[in-house]
Amino acid sequence: MDVEQNDGQTLTSDLQALSVSDPLSNQFSSLNDLCYEASSLQELASRGSWRSILDKVVRARKLSLLQKPHEHLIYLCYNVLALTKLRKYGEASEELDSLEDFDSARYKYETHPEHYPNRSGSMVPFALRWIHAEIPQRLGKRQETLDRLYSLLDFVRTKLKEKESKNMNFCVDRWKKREAFLISSISSHHLSHKEFSVCLALLRQLLNSDPSNPILLSKLGYIQMQLGDLEGSKALFNRVETLMTEGNPGALLDEVQFKNLVNRNKALIYLVGKDYVSAVREYEECIERDPTDVVAINNKALCLMYLRDLSDSIKVLENALERIPTVALNETIVVNLCSMYELAYVNHSDIKRTLSNWIARVAPDDFDSSCTRI
Amino acid sequence: MSATAGSHSLAFRVMRLCRPSFHVENPLQLDPLDLLTGEDIFDDPSAASHLPRLFSRSKASTNKSGEADLTYRNRFELQNPTDAMGIPGFLVLPQSFGAIYLGETFCSYISINNSSNFEVKDVMIKAEIQTERQRILLLDTSKSPVESIRSGGRYDFIVEHDVKELGAHTLVCTALYNDNDGERKYLPQFFKFIVANPLSVRTKVRTVKDNTFLEACIENHTKSNLYMDQVDFEPAQNWSTTILKADEHYSEINCQTREIFKPPILIRSGGGIYNYLYQLRMSSHGSEQVKVEGSNILGKFQITWRANLGEPGRLQTQHILGSPISHKEIELQLVEVPSKTISGMPFLIHLKLINQTDKEMGPFEVWMSGGNSHEKSITVNGLQKLVLPKVEASGSTDFNLNLIATRLGVQKITGITVFDVRDKKTYDPLPDLEGLWGYYPGDPLENRFLLVAGRNAPCSDNASSTLFASGSFIDHKIRWDLTCRTIPALWQFTAFISYVVNLGHRVVLDFGLHFPTVRRAQSSCSGNT
Repeated sequence: MDVEQNDGQTLTSDLQALSVSDPLSNQFSSLNDLCYEASSLQELASRGSWRSILDKVVRARKLSLLQKPHEHLIYLCYNVLALTKLRKYGEASEELDSLEDFDSARYKYETHPEHYPNRSGSMVPFALRWIHAEIPQRLGKRQETLDRLYSLLDFVRTKLKEKESKNMNFCVDRWKKREAFLISSISSHHLSHKEFSVCLALLRQLLNSDPSNPILLSKLGYIQMQLGDLEGSKALFNRVETLMTEGNPGALLDEVQFKNLVNRNKALIYLVGKDYVSAVREYEECIERDPTDVVAINNKALCLMYLRDLSDSIKVLENALERIPTVALNETIVVNLCSMYELAYVNHSDIKRTLSNWIARVAPDDFDSSCTRI
Repeated sequence: MSATAGSHSLAFRVMRLCRPSFHVENPLQLDPLDLLTGEDIFDDPSAASHLPRLFSRSKASTNKSGEADLTYRNRFELQNPTDAMGIPGFLVLPQSFGAIYLGETFCSYISINNSSNFEVKDVMIKAEIQTERQRILLLDTSKSPVESIRSGGRYDFIVEHDVKELGAHTLVCTALYNDNDGERKYLPQFFKFIVANPLSVRTKVRTVKDNTFLEACIENHTKSNLYMDQVDFEPAQNWSTTILKADEHYSEINCQTREIFKPPILIRSGGGIYNYLYQLRMSSHGSEQVKVEGSNILGKFQITWRANLGEPGRLQTQHILGSPISHKEIELQLVEVPSKTISGMPFLIHLKLINQTDKEMGPFEVWMSGGNSHEKSITVNGLQKLVLPKVEASGSTDFNLNLIATRLGVQKITGITVFDVRDKKTYDPLPDLEGLWGYYPGDPLENRFLLVAGRNAPCSDNASSTLFASGSFIDHKIRWDLTCRTIPALWQFTAFISYVVNLGHRVVLDFGLHFPTVRRAQSSCSGNT
């Protein structure tokens, strides 16, 4: 049974051909099968080289290197993502304005049978819908973003119902992940505006469908702790610990990650009880188990400061930046370190400038250097 | 000792050390699958089986914690859908002084730095809080001064102070030291802050027969949401108290996560309110209540709230007073009233007049006052004035009033006036004898409220009546019907409302209660003049 094989660039839904798990006829053997030079895009994104991605998109468009409609969409998506990462929200918005409505026929496979014989459905990357919803808030139109995100959630739920009724299990799984992602994203908007009640109501929905998710339970605990409900957060952390002792890691966390999560949660409880010594002890256990646990490192430094040991707290953060820069370099750690510098040194601008220069050499394109407050 | 303004070797650096906060962001992290494929790609079973492997392969090679991941992958790739919540667990130091309120604890990191090139010796450090009324010492090293602080060195300390006064406060840090020239120098530094009032508590006391109800409304004047950890009403000696709450919605009761996830009581910043309702009873039992002249103290509130990461604050209210018990010479009690009357048909109410003095009173004349009969909904049927005989000291007399209602609905029997013929004294129309009111404990923006109604008289039978309640929400009128059975003196009923609001918009809700209409059984109307 011979199968027509086109250069790995065309997608075919010939079931007979694809159900045979033959690596030679697999349409999805590499990332580049999905899109022109997709692996390069991925690589650049992983390194945080967003400016290079912008260049790459410009080049691909100028030299007409993209041949399929779906490739244009994917490149546009990376372009918008890069612009957003670089905080060029106006340009990102303009780029999105060049699109037609997402549900238009133009973005359906069946409209282009010459490229996609026997394939139907939407070719719009889901990420594009999400970014389109996120942009207005970054331009100061928060309400617009919330409306778009809630509409997108409705869209996802409609799809979910449709796929569930057709028993398409792989699909259902994917759309469920998207639903969880959206609910989490919407919650982050409510959280950053301290709309805790709405946030908790939303996350409760998520918890109802996934009650044994230790990461979700822990994050809910952080929210409860943030708003002051210490008893509530304790109950959630206890549940996470129970899940660990029951030996229920699921696919989410490996053993080290799970143990560290439980230790970090314990440390937080000590912290809010002002037992900073015990909190430091818990964090040290985490760091011993996983030296790249930056949350533990950061929080340990803060505990040291509350123990009046400003010098050591500075050392902990500086040490992490030196040892594991690609993991430790984030805006939060830099903000904390700079606050400590401002307290420790009368003439703190010198030391902050040293830090800032180092960051400029090492940091990814999207790093927001305003966090040094120079 | 010179207090020179310039050229000090030492300087104070101060940072308010309230609790840290969780870092919250709106992350730009995605699942690469959602970037590089069309959203409907998984409709294709072949894609469904091959793609996940393709992406996990590209992830696995760099994701082990043992190997150094030299990329900034984590700033771009979503590890789990819930990472989009943007609360990774990092804590952040307070970035500004912020606002400080009565009842909180002021905590500060104080560091004294030697930024000169020389050592300083014998440093005596003092930290105090200065308010309008007093000066409070927080730290004093005069008894054991710091021997030396080297060039570039620091001496750190953390101070705490429970804020108990409003208004301007100054943290005064002073250092007395010997500088390199052997000169004794004095360095004062001042850090000012203002303490504001975080909450206001408004109370209302209602009395329905033996029951006293205390409504308390707590308003949050701070800039952050306050979690109400404890709001306790501590009753005075001769009172006992129970808190009344609206029931939980059935959807919350059946919720799987109920045990680990109770919605917190959170009062929104800048003017949010929350209501509490308590029922109070006199502890002393028996029909004879000790009536003490003057005001009566019901008790006071102890409130503990928490702000970010559980930062506590505590306040106590002043004494809450009940309605003053004045000694009345005569008391009118409503003994019995029919629960349902038919408009246009006469009905009897049974009253008791009690002489609370130590001498004989009367005879009395009783009538209903207040406007002409066209305005009133209940009038006396028959003789407008009723004559009652004398009543001996501490005695009482029973009598009936024959009334007729001209209007539908729950009507108040008002304006019963008692006139002492001998002493020529009119006793003011005695208080309304029907009490019905609605109340919404909790957050007025929650979707449930509690109706509490009290009648001053027991009902003669358990006929049911229908209560209509309506509210308005911005410009829309919502009406919801509740049915309840009458209960002798007091009933409470939890009603749930639902409404749809665009998120992020402010909502104002306005409640009202309307009283039931008694169905007209007959239209015939007979009356005696």
